[in-house]
Amino acid sequence: MKHILEVEKLTKDFTPPLSFSKLIKLDFKHRKPTRALEDVSFSLKKGQILGVLGPNGAGKTTLLKIIATLILPDKGSVVVNGYRLGINDDKIKSFIGMVSSQERSFYWRLAGRQNLEFFASMYGLKNPKDKIEELFKLFAIDYQDSRFDTYSAGMKQKFALIRGLLNDPELLLLDEPTKSLDYATALDLRNFIKEDLVRKKEKTVIFTTHHMDEALDLCDLFMILHKGRLYALGTMEELRRKINNPVASLGEIFVKLTEKS
Amino acid sequence: MLKKPFAFIKKDFLIESSYKLSFIFRLFGVLGTVLTYFFIDKLFGQRIVGHLQQFGVNYFSYVLLSMAFFSYIGVGLGSFSSRIRFEQMQGTLEALFLTPVKISTILFSLGLWNLLFATVDMAIYIALGIFLFKISFANVNILSTLVILFLTIISFSSLGILSASFIMVFKQGNPLGWIINSLEGLICGVYFPITIMPAWLQFLAKFFPITYAIRAVELAVYKGYTISQLTKEIGFLLLFSLLLLPLSLASFKFALKKARQQGSLVQY
Repeated sequence: MKHILEVEKLTKDFTPPLSFSKLIKLDFKHRKPTRALEDVSFSLKKGQILGVLGPNGAGKTTLLKIIATLILPDKGSVVVNGYRLGINDDKIKSFIGMVSSQERSFYWRLAGRQNLEFFASMYGLKNPKDKIEELFKLFAIDYQDSRFDTYSAGMKQKFALIRGLLNDPELLLLDEPTKSLDYATALDLRNFIKEDLVRKKEKTVIFTTHHMDEALDLCDLFMILHKGRLYALGTMEELRRKINNPVASLGEIFVKLTEKS
Repeated sequence: MLKKPFAFIKKDFLIESSYKLSFIFRLFGVLGTVLTYFFIDKLFGQRIVGHLQQFGVNYFSYVLLSMAFFSYIGVGLGSFSSRIRFEQMQGTLEALFLTPVKISTILFSLGLWNLLFATVDMAIYIALGIFLFKISFANVNILSTLVILFLTIISFSSLGILSASFIMVFKQGNPLGWIINSLEGLICGVYFPITIMPAWLQFLAKFFPITYAIRAVELAVYKGYTISQLTKEIGFLLLFSLLLLPLSLASFKFALKKARQQGSLVQY
């Protein structure tokens, strides 16, 4: 089966901005970069759900943002649906949808619907109103015309999810999407991803989280990322084999694999 | 093709109109500025009659037009950086760059609302001039004025995009904007004709395109100068546009690449 995503030897360092004390000493060289990703390689086929697991600072968001063309890697390559990052970025953008957990990514003075209509027009949708209505029904959104800054955190997150689905993306990047959702809504979302997006429509999903049970419920492939390094990638059985423990939980696998670091 | 720019205009209109009082105060702001210069003219206008002979108008008529025109220059210079800054602060810049819209379209569309607003400002200035202060625009050469307006928008937008490149990378602290904003009003003939200034400042003013834009529009509107009579001014603005537009677009692309390397699109 054709790979929808191929990531090879992805490496990314972030150099901190020049501090004032270094600026007045004209010391432009001694800025220690932080390694966010190191030689990360993997590929995904159509219809797979990959759970990227790792604590804060593991490199999960950086990985997703690189695939989404928002961050440029220092080394390595990303190919989405045959299009290479850095060469066909606009093509890549039309294939992906990204949902982050940060609230600040909407126009707060506009209503939720107005925000979605604006972003829908950026994707050049033919019938944006119909698409938005369909997604409103799917996510049971009641206050579609209230101003965005009046919404609860969970509601804002639902709007972020709707925006991520506007262009019917082949590859959906979900960066801790359930962070602000209550238990029932998070469960509904996971069911929606599993049944509607993946089983019925064969979409490919990358889902980052630090909740192991959530990943276990949703994903068929797991990536363990820690301090920018990929420690393991595979199905639950493959990960258990890796640590020679056929009954290990995802949490135990994570601890076992990363304990030496 | 125009759907995306229109979507930006609609979005910016909805955001601006959500601050209802600012709409009203904009009108009063222009009126206040015009009245200030009206009384300055009453007080000192006679003292600079000699400097205004080449334009054939009094001080108030001169400054009213240059202020009206200056709103366009201000849009070109400031709107791109201010809109980029707004999107950074709002956190929507990353969301915008996630959509498959060309960078040049996003950039152009970000400046559109301010351009429309500058047109409204200009219309208010001109309307106040005609109806309240009985200034005559009977000699206006419309073709020259439109050509000057177009070239001014292009050349100053190029400078504005260069400014936006600094904002993209450094977020705050825009040396280009600072230099231009500090000097343009002082030496480029917006508030008074440059012949008032000492010779060395007049010499310095020749290196700023605003000087040519203001002089050209005053002559086209009040003395009806044709394009051929304004060859020097229009030529300079054209040259400026041709040089700066590709340079500014390249600089913005470079700045965007830098921000993507730093992972700082979401930072403000």
